[in-house]
Amino acid sequence: MSSHDPQPHADIALRVKAIESLLIEKGIVDPAALDAIIDAYEHKIGPHNGARIVAKAWVDPEFKQRLLMDGTSAIAELGLTGFSSEHMVVVENTPTVHNLIVCTLCSCYPWAILGLPPTWYKSFAYRSRAVIDPRGVLQEFGLEMPKSVEVRVWDSNADLRYLVLPERPQHTEGMTEDALAALVTRNAMIGTAQVSPPTFSNELADAEVAQ
Amino acid sequence: MSIEPSNECMTVAQVEVLLRDGLSCQSESDTPAKFKVSDRVRAKVMHPQTYTRLPRYARGKMGTVMRDHGVYVFPDTVGQRLDTKPQHVYSIRFAASELWGANTPTNDFLFLDLFDDHLEPI
Amino acid sequence: MNGPHDMGGMHNMGSIPIEEHEPVFHSEWEAKVFAISFATFANYFPVDETRQASELMPPGQYLSSRYYERWLYALELLMTKHNLVTQAEIEDRIAQMAQTDP
Repeated sequence: MSSHDPQPHADIALRVKAIESLLIEKGIVDPAALDAIIDAYEHKIGPHNGARIVAKAWVDPEFKQRLLMDGTSAIAELGLTGFSSEHMVVVENTPTVHNLIVCTLCSCYPWAILGLPPTWYKSFAYRSRAVIDPRGVLQEFGLEMPKSVEVRVWDSNADLRYLVLPERPQHTEGMTEDALAALVTRNAMIGTAQVSPPTFSNELADAEVAQ
Repeated sequence: MSIEPSNECMTVAQVEVLLRDGLSCQSESDTPAKFKVSDRVRAKVMHPQTYTRLPRYARGKMGTVMRDHGVYVFPDTVGQRLDTKPQHVYSIRFAASELWGANTPTNDFLFLDLFDDHLEPI
Repeated sequence: MNGPHDMGGMHNMGSIPIEEHEPVFHSEWEAKVFAISFATFANYFPVDETRQASELMPPGQYLSSRYYERWLYALELLMTKHNLVTQAEIEDRIAQMAQTDP
């Protein structure tokens, strides 16, 4: 990340305001539409969508099979395909295989399922390194991959988007789909984290919600 | 056939539809797929000055067809507002050592989605 | 095009900037650039054309740019290329707004 003094930042904000006002005046964009777009990605669309898919795959083996065979159709069953997630491939982490998703050429990402990507996913450091040193990248995220584990990196260079189905953690037997979904993090669905087993505080929170 | 935009101002209703339905990139073509699953292929050595979704690190490298995703519009031409050139796109698996040399783990693999026009048989 | 965007395998890009609990947009201008781009996808520019446009940024500029600056670059390039707006109109409006809003 480079440092910038405040001046260019103020300049760019003004530039964007100017362009926005011109486009509105010319009837090219509608301000209500701009608000709707921002609202959708700030408040409605996010990794909770992907977490639902993962949780269902964990409890429903037939769904999981469909998901791995044809991600698009299975995800469409839940009504979760959408913009930038029209064509989905789901890849499964196992004790012997770990998957990692990147877009080296820009930052393609399954927005409808995970929301907008985090800064790190869009960074030059991630885009350049994930393909040539995935294990080093995983270490930066605190994930030590044993040498015996196969690492698969998926570079989203075309119109298919990728979702990692993380391994179901231990100590989750009998948990509801909603409770399982609450464990699933965005990073686990990109491949830079694993899903942690529930902690006592998770169980306490669940108990509170159940009341 | 090229993609012609509507040039209309997007309404709130259209935003909802676009978010929900997205934009499909799938298409149809009578041209049969050039490759099938398990074929060994080579990514072409090509250096277009125009838009392409074949990254430099894979050009000239050998891989295996793992899946045929079916027919999609070709981003290389669509990005220039040229013909959609619908064709098959495949998930191609490359060994990391093929891309990066001998000092890479033998159980690291990289997958790219490459089109008929990006590939040649070995 | 063999541009800087094609960076798989490049070295020396530094450590990965991991930010805990980051907001969806870091500032209003980012949100607006995103929204304006989204609102003109499909209707005015095929998505691949927008990716192609951001690749046209000169390499030095690309490699020192922030993410949404590249979106802004692509947006301006496409809007002016397709005659939706001119550079002169943009600069005039900036000058106007800078005066009324110091």
